[in-house]
Amino acid sequence: MKIKETFIDPLVDNNPITRQVLGICSALAVTVKVEQALVMTIALTFVVTMSNTIISLLRVYIPSSIRIIVQLTVISTLVALIDNLLGAYMYDVSKSLSVFVALIITNCIVMGRADAFAMQNGVKESFMDGLGNGLGYGLILIIVASFREVLGFGTFLGFRVLPEFMNNGLMILAPGAFIILGLIIWAQRSITSFVEE
Amino acid sequence: MKNKYVFILTITIICSFFLSLAAEGLKDIYNKNVEVDKKKNILNAIGLDISEYSVVDIDKYFMDNIDTLIVDLEGLLIDDISISDLFEIENKQTGEIKYYYNDKEYLPLYSESVNNVIILPISGKGLWSSLFGYFAIDANNHSTVKGITFYAHGETPGLGAEISKEWFQGNFIGKEIYSANDSLQSVTVIKGKASIDNKYEVDGISGATITSNGVTTLLKRDLERYEPYFIRNRK
Repeated sequence: MKIKETFIDPLVDNNPITRQVLGICSALAVTVKVEQALVMTIALTFVVTMSNTIISLLRVYIPSSIRIIVQLTVISTLVALIDNLLGAYMYDVSKSLSVFVALIITNCIVMGRADAFAMQNGVKESFMDGLGNGLGYGLILIIVASFREVLGFGTFLGFRVLPEFMNNGLMILAPGAFIILGLIIWAQRSITSFVEE
Repeated sequence: MKNKYVFILTITIICSFFLSLAAEGLKDIYNKNVEVDKKKNILNAIGLDISEYSVVDIDKYFMDNIDTLIVDLEGLLIDDISISDLFEIENKQTGEIKYYYNDKEYLPLYSESVNNVIILPISGKGLWSSLFGYFAIDANNHSTVKGITFYAHGETPGLGAEISKEWFQGNFIGKEIYSANDSLQSVTVIKGKASIDNKYEVDGISGATITSNGVTTLLKRDLERYEPYFIRNRK
């Protein structure tokens, strides 16, 4: 039961973007198109799940004075790995994501989960926690990207859904993402009546 | 673990082992992707619709119809050097790429035989980044513009990044780089709308004056480098 909760909790109730307001930078940058958001979701979910698992496996051996260094080493390795894989097998998407794949290293969600969760919990829980946080992040990314692509380009995953004259240039730019993200956070917080302390 | 130095060293070695394994194993596929991407852009510059082309089709089109030529700064064809011998050096200030072989500068270009077009690599500074692309002109008069593409840049989406959009690139088609009295005029990206009759100007991008001016500058500079070749081959 507890494992199921560690997976479901970060999807909505404790979502890393809307509730903890982490990983905002990439949420603004890679949500212009749904395809980018999907690939970014896969990349981040892979990294956070694997880093949580590896850190959890090593947690009893890691000397606490150098734990951040160890976490960063593991995370950077995974990110460089996924960057290489994308470059080889999804070249066009990796080109459009440009520097943001490499910037997963500095994504607060990955470091945050490794230090706050995986260092204290077992492998199975850490794995599910990583999966949940990655997908929770991706869920918001895809919602934001859907709005931006449909309103900004009039397409969804490349297929035209709105005529071209209705395109709104603001949605393509970062402020468009800010506004949508703000609205989502506002909606969630008025429903759950959560207030930041 | 008693010694933290031993621990972090072990972790680092294991990690670097896996990374180098992955990088080495995927290198060939990655290089192939970069090469195909360049070829796609060259074909785009000619104005071919390649959205339905597979990697094999692109390679085949290249093999059958496109020759890579190397000329020296006097515009003479050099036969004994291939493009893979050339060493690229990018000037980070101006975004200009120069090609060297044995410390001597050369210029690469592509010649396409179906539409009779020559394609030149172009590069230069925009606002935030260097712009890299290809510029295609008619191989008979070396003046009529057949197309332009940009395959790499880091300009602002919606503003400077419009240089990679169809509307901007489409405006170049049919323009001339040589004026009526045979001097190299190049094509200028102006502020606002260019008149349709003007063969040497195209519409600018509103909100991206510096990127627009960058395109003007890099076109003029790169075309001047190839001018000796044009003069030798113009009819």
